[in-house]
Amino acid sequence: MKQHQNILIAGVGGQGNLVCGKTLAQAAVEEGYKPVVGQIFGASRRGGTVQTHVRISNSNLGPLIPRGDVHIILGLEPMETLRAAIEYAGPETIALMSETPVQTVDSLAGRKLYPRLDELRGSLSALARRVYSVDPTETLEDLGTYRVQNSYMLGALCGIQTARLSKESIKTGLIEIVGRSQPNTEAFEEGLKAGRCAVSE
Amino acid sequence: MIEGDQVLMSGNEAIARGAIEAGIRFCASYPGTPSTEITEYIMKTSDRRDIHAEWSTNEKVALEASTAASWAGLPALCPMKSLGLNVAADFLLNVNLSGTGDGGLVIVVCDDPRGHSSSNEQDSRFYSKAAHLPLLEPSSCQQAKDIMPYAFEISKRYEIPVIVRSTTRLSHTRAIVELGEVPDIEIESAHDIPSNLYNVPRPDFKHKQLLAKLDDIKEDFEKSRFNKLDSSDKRVRILASGITNRYSEEAMRKLDLEDIEILSITTTFPLPGKSVLKALDSATHVLFAEEGQPFTEENVAVLFAKRKNRTVPELHGKIDGVIERYGELNVDKVAHALSRITGCEFRPVPPEFEERAQKSRELLLDRPPTFCPGCGHRAVYWAIKKAKQRFDKPVVVTGDIGCYSMGIFYDSSLDTMQAMGSSIGTASGLGQLSRFGFDQKVIAVAGDSTFFHACLPGLVNARNKNADLTFIVIDNNTTAMTGFQPSPSSHIQRGETFSVDIENIARAALPDYIDIGIASDIPATTDLIHENLTRDGLKIIIVKAVCRLAEREDSKAERPKVYIDADSCIGENCKLCMTQFGCLAIEWNEEEDHSEIENHLCVRCGDCIVVCPHDAIRRG
Ligand code: SF4
Ligand code: SF4
Repeated sequence: MKQHQNILIAGVGGQGNLVCGKTLAQAAVEEGYKPVVGQIFGASRRGGTVQTHVRISNSNLGPLIPRGDVHIILGLEPMETLRAAIEYAGPETIALMSETPVQTVDSLAGRKLYPRLDELRGSLSALARRVYSVDPTETLEDLGTYRVQNSYMLGALCGIQTARLSKESIKTGLIEIVGRSQPNTEAFEEGLKAGRCAVSE
Repeated sequence: MIEGDQVLMSGNEAIARGAIEAGIRFCASYPGTPSTEITEYIMKTSDRRDIHAEWSTNEKVALEASTAASWAGLPALCPMKSLGLNVAADFLLNVNLSGTGDGGLVIVVCDDPRGHSSSNEQDSRFYSKAAHLPLLEPSSCQQAKDIMPYAFEISKRYEIPVIVRSTTRLSHTRAIVELGEVPDIEIESAHDIPSNLYNVPRPDFKHKQLLAKLDDIKEDFEKSRFNKLDSSDKRVRILASGITNRYSEEAMRKLDLEDIEILSITTTFPLPGKSVLKALDSATHVLFAEEGQPFTEENVAVLFAKRKNRTVPELHGKIDGVIERYGELNVDKVAHALSRITGCEFRPVPPEFEERAQKSRELLLDRPPTFCPGCGHRAVYWAIKKAKQRFDKPVVVTGDIGCYSMGIFYDSSLDTMQAMGSSIGTASGLGQLSRFGFDQKVIAVAGDSTFFHACLPGLVNARNKNADLTFIVIDNNTTAMTGFQPSPSSHIQRGETFSVDIENIARAALPDYIDIGIASDIPATTDLIHENLTRDGLKIIIVKAVCRLAEREDSKAERPKVYIDADSCIGENCKLCMTQFGCLAIEWNEEEDHSEIENHLCVRCGDCIVVCPHDAIRRG
């Protein structure tokens, strides 16, 4: 068993990045670890890049994952998954990416092109040991809210079975942090299914 | 949450909890990232615990108010961000001499290396040196909590403020904290304030007394349990303070180095020289790991310089440049420094990985901060832009600190942006330069919270000197940037506070013209601004705006939908609503060649309707 596990949650402001981090940390506490959660954000509420670093271990580690040491990237947004991989990925990195892009000011205005998904996936594969991607769009549209994408992705994380934490404790952590709301649990379950079916590239 | 519980807490929450465990009765603060959550945490339980907690008008007032509480015997906390201490510094460098009475006063200052959410990366520790005040730098969330009662103890004993310094990385990190006991104190009543709370006529005497206190505190610090200054026979020693302790441990493990001892100093000023020198004895190399400037590094260098006839180890850090002097530290930077000192190799990732990463970087697009969909500030900047286009002379726009600072990134709407209140201050200078041939009209832009915080002296100056300028106050009723704390003018006030009206205060300055606008009425605001540009004198426009994040969630549903009529949108040849107005809720539909509104992002403000020259954006 590895000494510790480093999970990096990558996304943009408003995607519930920190909620994911808190959930994983809570799950880690349930399992008796001493997690540490660090955050990098600028003007996060206003659409900037947000990264939450979750470090699960038995000792009091520093808040940020050192370059090359990330074990899992939980990507809530495709381009941000790649950004995180460029900054932090190393030989052991496994990336799990949501396929729903959040456009930027420049891409919305047509000044720059948002990268194609297959380009992003290709680049990711060159940087990570395994890459999984899931598409939450249908589930989120059915549920009528994009706010639960983080629950979906946490489900998917359980589905690909690379997290040190058990599905049960992540679920318990989620309920503890966001409450037992129906869209959240449903998104989690759908994500779990999607994660189980996802094959790595 | 009770004593002995192990809970996940951020560094800021831990600081607040520590203050509560220290028995504070008073907390005054002005919001500022990364310090805001300290006061917010205290406010959450303040009623239950009988603590007075307030958002003061600015940091200086907050410090003055908390000092007053301490004078009256009530332990008081005053948290602020780095730049806030600049505002409070005038008072600080007086009250250090006068003293804070026996209540106890702790100032928590949160620095922001790399400026994640600040306009500079100042090292506030120099204030403790300038004011001769004790300084503590906790290194973990647990220590951040544990150090607070100790900080109050020192403050009470010596009757001076104690400064606790955090950094973004500690303040915003969550980790397990074991709680201590919250003392069950009866509400003590305040007592009379001490006599002689002034420094004149002999500030030098007071200074002498303060220096004597500092000598005693240094002796206390020699024995402080918060330092880890053990003797060692390792060749290399790292002297770490604050969060860099964690980076140092990890860097050492990464490089697999054994001949290194990590020493930890929490009481960084006044430096307990004897124990520091003892701990560094026989080292051949010392690396200083600290966020900000080489503060401890310089203080230790002076210790060595004073020590006669002894060998001095090689000192490394920000002075010799093994660690760069700007930016934020991390594990990699400490590891690089260690590798340069010891000669052992450090590569965080293999070289071929670097190459691939470099190539992938080309795919990334930036995400500059921008206004939320429907933000009133965007509407006001749009109106300013239109008014400028209509006006025949050049216009300069001076900016201030708040969400509207993002005008910097919004089509360069702002030409300047420095400190709180600087919009009107710099404008009052520019507005008096016409006799030197400066022929631009000046607009100053500030928000409601900033107006009260630091704009009033500038406004008075502008009136008094008859500066020619237009001062636009965008009043969205909240301190939005830091998470919607009420400003003095907010309609909804906390507890028994009283709303203070901006218009009345502005009128009292007797401007030549004063107008009230509404941000969402873009054509009328544009006319107002244009009209005022054509006038001379001091002109004030108060624009009522809405912060969409602070707005009630159901208000969106009360407004009719806004949509883009596909047939009227002329497509590719225009795109103005996206390229220029730039509301994030408007997207380009590539297949159908027209813009469209993303319903789950749109707040139905309707601001974009007048922006479209082809009347394609409509309500209904
Ligand atoms: S938080 Fe409020 S004031 Fe700030 S950009 Fe968003 S809507 Fe505007
Ligand atoms: S109505 Fe227009 S400006 Fe307002 S949020 Fe919707 S798209 Fe943006």
